[in-house]
Amino acid sequence: MPTKKRTGNKKGKQSNFAKLSIFQPNKYKFKKSCPLSVKGAPEVDYKNIKLLKKYMSENGKILPSRITNVSQKKQRELSLSIKRARNLALI
Amino acid sequence: MNLYEHTIVARQDTSPAQIKLLAEKYSKIIEKNEGEIVQTEEWGLLNLAHIIKKNKKGIFMHFKIKGAGSVIGELEKNEAIDKNLLRFMTVKVKKFDLKANYFQKKNKQKKKK
Repeated sequence: MPTKKRTGNKKGKQSNFAKLSIFQPNKYKFKKSCPLSVKGAPEVDYKNIKLLKKYMSENGKILPSRITNVSQKKQRELSLSIKRARNLALI
Repeated sequence: MNLYEHTIVARQDTSPAQIKLLAEKYSKIIEKNEGEIVQTEEWGLLNLAHIIKKNKKGIFMHFKIKGAGSVIGELEKNEAIDKNLLRFMTVKVKKFDLKANYFQKKNKQKKKK
């Protein structure tokens, strides 16, 4: 019985939150747009080392897209071009 | 006809005269196989991110080639034998961006300073 009660509470909270978000849309938005698919964004290329280094950790690992908010398509391009640059020992 | 970007990394202790010979040698190979060189870039001496065959630095050269796939096959066959080279890489591209020279800009800025 207690489990049922809990779920009921949760549902109630969610619906309240949804109502809040209608009235105050900006405060509760946490999503950022992809920095590489905006208009005027630089093209991902293995020669553009400055750009690639932004999306790598200090140890030379590729940062996950959940941290950098890069879109799935651009993340694929990034990882390919980072690996190309690694082969030429640019990074 | 395809478009390719081709980069070569030569040993750091090759003399400038030897590098000219290298560039000539490979551009001849390209022309023999009915390829066309659209642009060449010399990136110059750059620090390698990790040591390759006991070398800390390398001399980079970049070619933009228009031609059939057989050109690349011949090129890489010859480059694999060459002892002056550390690495080579070809990338097939849909479009050349001839404006952006990421490495030349840096050199010019250094010269100005």
